[in-house]
Amino acid sequence: MNDNSSITVLRLAGELDIGRREEIHGVFQLAPDARRVLVDLSEVTYADSTTLSELLRLRADAQAQDARIAIVIGSKRFARVIEYAGLGSAFAIFDDRGAALTYLAPGLQS
Amino acid sequence: MTVGSELRLNRDAEATGVTPMRHALSAFLDAIAVDQDTRDDILIAVGEAVANAVEHAYCGSSPGMVQLYARVDDARTLAVEVVDRGEYISRERRDGRGFGMRIVRSVARAVAIETDGGTRIHMLFDIASAADTP
Repeated sequence: MNDNSSITVLRLAGELDIGRREEIHGVFQLAPDARRVLVDLSEVTYADSTTLSELLRLRADAQAQDARIAIVIGSKRFARVIEYAGLGSAFAIFDDRGAALTYLAPGLQS
Repeated sequence: MTVGSELRLNRDAEATGVTPMRHALSAFLDAIAVDQDTRDDILIAVGEAVANAVEHAYCGSSPGMVQLYARVDDARTLAVEVVDRGEYISRERRDGRGFGMRIVRSVARAVAIETDGGTRIHMLFDIASAADTP
């Protein structure tokens, strides 16, 4: 986890499947005071429903503490997994980090 | 692509084995010249079927095997089976998990599940060779 101004950044890369479930679960944890969260998955080349389940849990945790989440996805294949699962409207998804940061904190760019 | 081309994999049903099985299927799909988008979709669906087998098939018992069998049935159809010998657990969505079979059904042309003595997931995929893609 990294702090970027007041934005918490959670980052994973590579291929995410059940073999990395514990790692994914560990990365998708929120500090109690996190209010703006950038989930940077721009370098993820493959993700399955293991990641989707963890993203849903992260979303629930964020809602419980009134935090806003933006997800950056770079892989067309990963974006399709989200659509196939019927979760296209469940998350704020961006293919551009700048747009995600604007969504989280208008006027603040890194 | 060559009708009758096939891939057979038999691996321990362990989480760390899912990625290598997917990579082996990817290499097979490349070898039979499936176009990239179709290949990616097949990898997504079959990856979910294999992951489900690994996650659920041998709960509460010692790990067994998971088998993957892929065959070019005709010039437009790839048949894939994922087989385990563990206890069948409904793979449909539950409690915020279990999106795997929804994804499989979104991608495959047809899906059938047999649960006699384990679980056998049959999937048929429409395939087109890269040469057929405009």
